[in-house]
Amino acid sequence: QETINLTVASSHPTVVPWVGFIQSHFMAKTDELLAKTGNYKIEWNEAFGGQLYKANATLSSVEEGVTDIGWVFSFLEQAKLPLSQASSNAPFATSNPPALLETMQELIDNNEAFRNEWESHNLKVLGLTATDLYDFYLKEPIAGIDDLAGRKISAPGVLGNWLRGTGANAVDGALTTYYTDVQTGVSDGVLSLALGALPIKLYEVAPYIARFDGGAVFSGAVAINRDSWDALPEEVQAAMVEAGKYYTVSHAQDLVSRHEFALNKMVELGAGQNPAVQIIQMPEGETAKWVSKLPDIAGDWAAPLEARGIPAKAFLADYMTRLREKGEKPARNWDQ
Amino acid sequence: MSPVEIGSLCVAALILLIFIGMPIGIGMLAVSLVGVSFIRSDTVAIRMMAQVANDSLEEYLFAVVPLFVLMGLLVTISGVGRDTFDVFERLLRRLTAGLGIATVFANAVFASITGISIASATVFSRVAVPEMTRHGYTKRFATGVVAGSSVLGMLIPPSLLMIVYAVIAEQSVGRMFLAGIGPGILLSLIFAATIVLLARRRRDFVFEADENTAAYEDLGLAAMLRKSVPILILMLLVLGGLYGGFFNPTEAGAAGAFGALVIALLRQSLDRKTFWSLLVETGQITVSVLFLILAATFFSRMLALSGVPRELAHVLLSGSLGPYGFLVFYLLLIILLGCLIDSISIMLILLPIALPVASAAGFDLIWFGVLTVVAVEMGLLTPPFGLSVYTIKSAIDDPDLRVGDIFRGAFPFVIAMLVALAMIAIFPPIATWLAGA
Amino acid sequence: MAGNDQTIGAAPDGPRLREAGLARVWRWVVEGFAAAGTVLIGILMLIVCADIVARNSAGASLPLVSEAGALLVVLLVALQLAANVRSRRLARTEIFILPFTQRFPRAGAILNAAFDLVGAAVLGIVAWATIRILEKDLASSEFIGIVGMATMPTWPFRLLILMGFAVAAIEFAVRCIAELRNFGRVRT
Ligand code: NA
Ligand code: NA
Repeated sequence: QETINLTVASSHPTVVPWVGFIQSHFMAKTDELLAKTGNYKIEWNEAFGGQLYKANATLSSVEEGVTDIGWVFSFLEQAKLPLSQASSNAPFATSNPPALLETMQELIDNNEAFRNEWESHNLKVLGLTATDLYDFYLKEPIAGIDDLAGRKISAPGVLGNWLRGTGANAVDGALTTYYTDVQTGVSDGVLSLALGALPIKLYEVAPYIARFDGGAVFSGAVAINRDSWDALPEEVQAAMVEAGKYYTVSHAQDLVSRHEFALNKMVELGAGQNPAVQIIQMPEGETAKWVSKLPDIAGDWAAPLEARGIPAKAFLADYMTRLREKGEKPARNWDQ
Repeated sequence: MSPVEIGSLCVAALILLIFIGMPIGIGMLAVSLVGVSFIRSDTVAIRMMAQVANDSLEEYLFAVVPLFVLMGLLVTISGVGRDTFDVFERLLRRLTAGLGIATVFANAVFASITGISIASATVFSRVAVPEMTRHGYTKRFATGVVAGSSVLGMLIPPSLLMIVYAVIAEQSVGRMFLAGIGPGILLSLIFAATIVLLARRRRDFVFEADENTAAYEDLGLAAMLRKSVPILILMLLVLGGLYGGFFNPTEAGAAGAFGALVIALLRQSLDRKTFWSLLVETGQITVSVLFLILAATFFSRMLALSGVPRELAHVLLSGSLGPYGFLVFYLLLIILLGCLIDSISIMLILLPIALPVASAAGFDLIWFGVLTVVAVEMGLLTPPFGLSVYTIKSAIDDPDLRVGDIFRGAFPFVIAMLVALAMIAIFPPIATWLAGA
Repeated sequence: MAGNDQTIGAAPDGPRLREAGLARVWRWVVEGFAAAGTVLIGILMLIVCADIVARNSAGASLPLVSEAGALLVVLLVALQLAANVRSRRLARTEIFILPFTQRFPRAGAILNAAFDLVGAAVLGIVAWATIRILEKDLASSEFIGIVGMATMPTWPFRLLILMGFAVAAIEFAVRCIAELRNFGRVRT
């Protein structure tokens, strides 16, 4: 039996579901597959949670071989992974993480520009990740998207775009600042994922959850450095490819159940507080109304890329078409 | 050689290099560069170092470092720190070693407008040390008190260390801040008790000759009120702004610096030339601190690659220790590392390993954070590398004053912090009550 | 700082004048970089305060403040590092080196020169390897901010960061030469 040393790392801690899944699904599955023949064993050196690099260097760290395997956070690589930003610039195209990730998997397999965007960075993509769904966590209730006008809403920089045209003011923030920002009045609410809101106890200060189930977004990939990849025996490569696919599918399923679980958990935990945590289901068509208020975000995103010769429009069309083929009904056809 | 062995050798080499006097940041970079090139390859090592230099400091919250330093210096030059000290001196001078206690309490109040300990150390080494030596205190004790009480700067909010912990542990910065208030007050009281005890039991440690060799400047009630106003205004600005929702914790530095600038201008203590040299000094202090953080980041990343922390965790944390055994070992490890590397680096190295264990043990992570911060801050005072002590040395600029003397002067306060640490560990509500956990 | 300027200026041999001139130009470079960094601190304070005011009056964050603030921190350190090296403000322990240099001046000078040499090498490597990062920034038109709202290219920051580390590396080399010259003087 041959032992192979590999470093696996991430900027985020393992409590983040898709980072934890690297351990519990990708690594475990790889080990399981390799154990069948017993020819190879991987000795994992785990460096999760920003021990090797921070969120601002997830791509270059895999690219340069600082780690062998790592989760690349494409949200924060807008310049180097431009096509990967399509889903966040074409919001509410789908609220179905499995369909989204299946689409992204097809794209990485079949869309040459997209695959190149990733693989030109000296790496091989093994698994894909997405966010769960976005809702508003508010101090005061709303009945619909119109009521947001004039409120200060915390959102991560990239998603400030989603508030354009709603009349809400975007306040730049991150998971670590939301609680205090709302508590002290720096903002009146947060545009956040249920998975992010639960651990930071956001519901304590923002008990009204306006449930939009707003679009899932492609967030990145588990990737391996190309030189490390090339040095692996074929059997190990095959095991990793399979484990990567397994990771993507399991993670997508998990997002669906976990979103629901997190929302219910917040209602449960916040039942005793005053006012009690309350989910306000947005009326039918409210998401469509929100989306119609937005300017042409996708166009604004595509234009400068096209000018640089990057086929953003074609990619967007490919993405949207594949989603529609899966029966998804985008709230707005950003490619048309 | 296995990566763990390489990592261990690197630690040993770094200790040696620091001991023989290589600039610590340079030593960390060099050792880590060699370490990574053995663990992985030359190319990776070089690219990793360049990446660290370009991205490790790229963090909005680090912008508060120059701003907190600038505020500290502005407050020094405009005499707000001196006035705070004067008021406490007037109030406490009749007590045994009253100037020492005045330094502690002035520091506690000053802490509520500054977020980094080196600002406190800079201000009070220029204000309190000359006054104390004038009144017959030994330089060793005077600088020791300033070094010791400077740790309050990062325990009482606002606090850079709390921000860093909150970011790494994904806790609310606001709740961390609230959790620091109780322990800050506790530590101030223990420091005061320590001073009284020293003055009674070890007089030669505290006093050169007789305590009252020089006259005190008399301060009427009106003068005292007048001297209290600027610090109260700044406290109102920083704390009021923070909890009134006008700005977030990371912006407190900028608002405070701006407020201090206005006060300095109103008091006419600032001409263009002084302001410029103040900015230059701010830059120098900032670079000393941030360059160290940069280098320590590379060192901790090299260690993570080598697997040394994992082995350490395995040996120390996962045995048959139980949760409280783990806590004791964790805190001891911090104190040990505190002798060698800077506060933020310790947290960067240890927290990723310790946090999962702590949450598995069912610890309240806010309380755990306060314990971490207090233990980490002991490192500001312990040789061979104690940032507060070096700050005081460079602020006083007296060739007769040896770094070793300051370390000896600060030692009783290290012990006092250990007592505080034990008390917070045994009575968690000291920290968690205000934070509402 | 002053002590070391004297060392350079007081070189006893022929090309002293020319060298003093060079030394003066070099000092001007180092201090110029530090001054630029100093100005940045003021700018940093102003943009953060402007952000507070904007949010409390207009209700929304100013674009780019947090990203530019973060980059300014890196830039600040790079620009002022050389001045920090020059004034010997980098943190180090003196337990050993001070008494050792007093007891054995020549060996002490060599040790100090070795430290400076390591500093020059390490920072030189950082500067050299940053060229690649700069090239990648240029190739991918790396930017900060949000497309559709406000963006800013990163390469000017990167170029200045590179230059800052390069100047600091050269400053270490200058220190090293000065130390070795001290060594020569002790010997004769
Ligand atoms: Na403070
Ligand atoms: Na120390």
